Amino acid sequence: MAWEKFNPNLAAHDLVQDMKWNPEIRKEFKQNEKAVLDRYPLLLEERKAIEERDFRKLYDLGMHPYLGGQLSRFIWGNDAGKGAVEASNKLVASLQGHTRDIPKS
Amino acid sequence: MAQIVFAAGAPHAPAIVGLFDKAPDESRKVVTDTYAAITNELRAAKPDVVIAFANDHLSNSRITFYPDFLIGTAAEHTGPHEWFQEWIGCRDYTAKGNPAVAKSLFAGMTRRGVRMTVREENLKFDDNISVPVTMTNLDKTDITLVPVLQNCTVPPFPDAGRCFEVGHALRDFIEKDLPGNMRVALFGSGGLSHEPGGAKYYKIDEDFDRRFLELCVGGDHKALLKEITVERMEEAGTGGTAEVLSWFPVMAAIGECKGRSFGYTGWPSFRCGIGGVIWDLKTKQ
Repeated sequence: MAWEKFNPNLAAHDLVQDMKWNPEIRKEFKQNEKAVLDRYPLLLEERKAIEERDFRKLYDLGMHPYLGGQLSRFIWGNDAGKGAVEASNKLVASLQGHTRDIPKS
Repeated sequence: MAQIVFAAGAPHAPAIVGLFDKAPDESRKVVTDTYAAITNELRAAKPDVVIAFANDHLSNSRITFYPDFLIGTAAEHTGPHEWFQEWIGCRDYTAKGNPAVAKSLFAGMTRRGVRMTVREENLKFDDNISVPVTMTNLDKTDITLVPVLQNCTVPPFPDAGRCFEVGHALRDFIEKDLPGNMRVALFGSGGLSHEPGGAKYYKIDEDFDRRFLELCVGGDHKALLKEITVERMEEAGTGGTAEVLSWFPVMAAIGECKGRSFGYTGWPSFRCGIGGVIWDLKTKQ
């Protein structure tokens, strides 16, 4: 991704930061994602991209990839050996526009 | 005059802890050799304090209000922050802080034209500080820690030239402002090539990494600044490779010294090129 698309105003950045800093919000996001998203002034297409797990779209809108990577871990898993690997596989598949798993090495 | 007695740079990729057991032997050897050398030589240098430049991965500040250099002035530094524990897979630690040096650094750099910021509460440490502290068992020594969390990822961030100015100011600060008998270690934490969260998450730029290590070892700062530009870093992995900028204030502070590296691995599942450097301070040219 090139930085020319970077948009620090996106509310998705604050969503990720808040989840990172507050386990209660993470829990709520798992149980009722809509209720959490409702509290952030997300652009319509920004929200749709989160709901559809469309990271390519989120990055095209200007999301910072480091926080995009963390968003993928809230969704698919955060543990070192397993969940985080799955999260990065799915994230990369979304960014590259396919549904294959990325080989491990 | 306070003295710089140790200087090194190394990556902090979480997978060198969490996926260490799954890595091939030659990759494990690079991790082990690098951090064993850093651990042993750091202790042998008997520093009172280690000032660690480590990039912040958006863990402590909102993206709309983002400091370039954030000094932790706490009396103790505990980590990793809760959410990062399972991700890194490292143990908990509490390293001794050094509020006096941290506050002096803030004042000293401010007077020398470098905008830094401070936070008194425990900073939220992810792999940036947690990996080097636990790999070296720094928390089990009497060496105190002053973390300086550097912005290497929210543009516009301080570039290589600016990081050198910061390092020159740092050297002046250490020589003139710190107590005369103080022994200071410098550590740069970050890199090598990687693109966290990006489409090239699994790509490592070995050419960049090997050349960067070679230039660090060679100690020719002009050559380093000419080749290792932010543009080249971004090409080698957007948003991650520029973490090597945390090594630049360290290199600038010690001047042109030869260094030693302890091998290199670009094992894809580390999702980051791995190799470190210790500089031989006596070989200053």
